[in-house]
Amino acid sequence: MNTEKFTEGTGDQPVVVTRVAEQQWHALADDEVVGRGDVSRRPDGRTFLSIDSWHGAVFDRLAEAMLADLPTPLYTLVDETDRDVTAGWERVGFTVGRREWVYLVPTDPRVTGLDAGLPPSGVTIVPVGEAEEGPLRALDRVIREEIEAAVGWQTMPAEVLPRPHGTTVVDASKYAVAARSGRYVGLVRVAPVTRLPRIGLIAVRADEQRGGIARALLAQVLGSLHHSGVEAAAAEVDESNKSATALFEGVGARRVSSNLELVLRRHSRRPGQ
Amino acid sequence: MTKTAGGIEVEGTVVECLRNATFKVELQNGHKVLAHISGKIRKNYIKILPFDRVLVEISPYDLTRGRILFRYRT
Repeated sequence: MNTEKFTEGTGDQPVVVTRVAEQQWHALADDEVVGRGDVSRRPDGRTFLSIDSWHGAVFDRLAEAMLADLPTPLYTLVDETDRDVTAGWERVGFTVGRREWVYLVPTDPRVTGLDAGLPPSGVTIVPVGEAEEGPLRALDRVIREEIEAAVGWQTMPAEVLPRPHGTTVVDASKYAVAARSGRYVGLVRVAPVTRLPRIGLIAVRADEQRGGIARALLAQVLGSLHHSGVEAAAAEVDESNKSATALFEGVGARRVSSNLELVLRRHSRRPGQ
Repeated sequence: MTKTAGGIEVEGTVVECLRNATFKVELQNGHKVLAHISGKIRKNYIKILPFDRVLVEISPYDLTRGRILFRYRT
C-alpha cells in the first residue's frame, strides 16, 4: 500500500492518498473517498490516466502519487474547454500532445452537397451491413498495416484504436465498403448510437486514395442515416489530418468541441528527489 | 439515491449541454445540478447528449454540483 497524508487546501480533514489496486488510487478524508485516480493501458501500449476530485489540492496529490508509481510517457484526455482539469494536469507537468476536433456532420444531401455524389468510375459502394466479412477483414488488416507503416496510431483519434495482433473487424454489420473489380478498397464504420451515430473510421487503401472514394463512402452512409430520420452524426479528426479535415468540412461538418491529448514525456521531479 | 464511499449517487437526465464541458442534469427528485464528466468517461470517449440518462455523484461540498459517472443505455 502506498499512502501519503496531507491537509493543505482541503479543510481540516487530513487526506490520505492510497494505491488501492494495481490501476486505482483513492484520496480519503475521514474514511470518505474525496478523490480517485485510475490508470489504463491501451492496446497500442500507451498508459492513460484519469483523476476525479472536488479540490485542486486533492487532484495535485493524487497526480503526484500516481506519477511517482508509473513510468513515463503518460497520457490523459481532456475536453479543451474544461479549463480546471486541463490546468490541473499542466500543473504536474503534462503538455499538449495533440488535438482532436469533434465534428457534427449533417446528413441532409441538400446541406452536404453529396446528393450527386456518384462513386468514381469502376467503384461500387456496398451499403452498411452488406459487406462480406472475409474481404472486409482482409481490407481492415491491410489498412491497419499501412497506418502502422506510415503516420502510426498515435495520430489517429483514440476512437480508432489499434487492436490486439490478429484482431480486425469486430462487427461487420457496422461497415460500408467501396469495391473495385470485386476487391474491397475502402471502408467506413458507423457506430449506431441511438441519437448521434458516430463515424468511427473512414479509410481507403493507399493505392486508391485521392480518387473520391472516401467522399462516396461518406455519401452512402450519410444518405442512409438521413433516410432513417437522423439529422447528424459525430466524427473525431486529428487536427494534423488535413485530408480528413477537408473531407468533413467539405460536406458542411462543423467543429463543436475538441479533445486534448496531454502527455508527460518524462518526470521533471520525482518525489523525494 | 445511494450513499457510497465516494458520495451521494443519484440518477438523472441531461437537460442541457453547457459551455466548459458542463451539463445541466435534472435529478429524480426534480433538483437540477451542474455536472462535469468524470475522467473515466472522458478517457473512454463516451459522449453525453441531452436526454441521456446518467448516474451523477453529487459533490459533498456543494450540492448543486456533480460529476457524471455513468451513461445508461437508451
